[in-house]
Amino acid sequence: MTNVEEKEAALLSRAVRGDEQAFLALYRKHQSPVYRYALRMTGSPWAAEEVVQEVFLLLIREPGKYRAERGELGAFLFGVTRNRIMKHLERLPKEDSLDARAEAGSLREPEDPLTPMMIAEKRERIEQVREAVLALPAEFREAVVLCELEEMSYEEAARACACPVGTIRSRLYRGRALLLAKLELLRDAPRRAGAAAK
Amino acid sequence: MKEKLKSSMMTCEEFDRLSLDVDRADTDPAQAAAAAAHARICSRCGRLLESWRELKQDLRLLRELTLAESAPPRVEMRLAQELRKKREPRVPRSAVRIAAWAMAAAAVLAAAAGWKQWGGEIARGRGGSPAAQDSTAARKAADSGTLLAADYDTGAFTSLPGSMPSPYENQEILRVRMQRGALGRFGLPVAQDRAGEWVQVDFLIGEDGQPQAVRLHDSQEAALE
Repeated sequence: MTNVEEKEAALLSRAVRGDEQAFLALYRKHQSPVYRYALRMTGSPWAAEEVVQEVFLLLIREPGKYRAERGELGAFLFGVTRNRIMKHLERLPKEDSLDARAEAGSLREPEDPLTPMMIAEKRERIEQVREAVLALPAEFREAVVLCELEEMSYEEAARACACPVGTIRSRLYRGRALLLAKLELLRDAPRRAGAAAK
Repeated sequence: MKEKLKSSMMTCEEFDRLSLDVDRADTDPAQAAAAAAHARICSRCGRLLESWRELKQDLRLLRELTLAESAPPRVEMRLAQELRKKREPRVPRSAVRIAAWAMAAAAVLAAAAGWKQWGGEIARGRGGSPAAQDSTAARKAADSGTLLAADYDTGAFTSLPGSMPSPYENQEILRVRMQRGALGRFGLPVAQDRAGEWVQVDFLIGEDGQPQAVRLHDSQEAALE
């Protein structure tokens, strides 16, 4: 067990006994990746918030479900998050309010020395990517989110999804191919429209 | 030299399998180099690698822009609240069960007492007045085969002038036959033309033995003015 894991185990042990500070330390460390994963998979900030809450409530109410010998707390939380996300996607396969999409699409732009025109183009391009990722079938989207956006290794992603590494690779391959095709189509459409106008 | 040979031998199918991992840190550097070399000599695979790198860049940008995303503070507050709730000492289940049984027993007792009281009130209501139930005069009248006025009257007594009401439990009904004019002695108005008529009158006798109220049978009340 590494130092970090030991520290985390100690925090969890204190949190289980009701130590609020210990629990909040764990929460603050893990909530952001869990939230991002949920947000990228559902496309809805509300759903992502609900997922985060459910995941950490499980840790409060049933801490025994996590066994340190089986792996890191982060991996366990990702596994729980995944189950909640899948349940959400099964329950609401097409439910995506326009408000939620608009809110999810409000990306925080970092300080950029580009001109407003370039910033607008970049923003549009990123928005296209985000929508293309959200439009992927859930299993391919998951592989793309974990391996590309969360930058997990294939092994980590496989553990989070409880499937073999080969499955993750295959899903990622297909996910990327679908993304490429979709984005090529989107980017070529204006070009083709421009050529036709000439 | 060996690597060069390997790269020149890579097919498009092999490239397809490897291409998307070319830029990954955990890819074998030799294989990555072979794929890159193949992409340089194969225009189809070269375009694919270029597109992929472009997509990879976009995904990286998306990642950077959303890296600061986190759950709103209200989630943390709700969770902290839940933790505090959990920390509060819980009442043992046995205590909860005992309390539930005690409440149920109290409810049954209250219902029984209410039922009893309600039954008593109904019985009193049927009797017209409490005095009618345990009046010896009434029992005598029943024994002699005559009906009490309460059996067919409204049961209303007229208080005699100057009498003080006393509890019903201590009152008795006395039935007498008398001339109507005699009612005047109790302060009641009597029609003089009918003063000689014989009437049956119920007197309500109080604890002190004095008449407190009077009632006549329906047919006779009209004559009492």
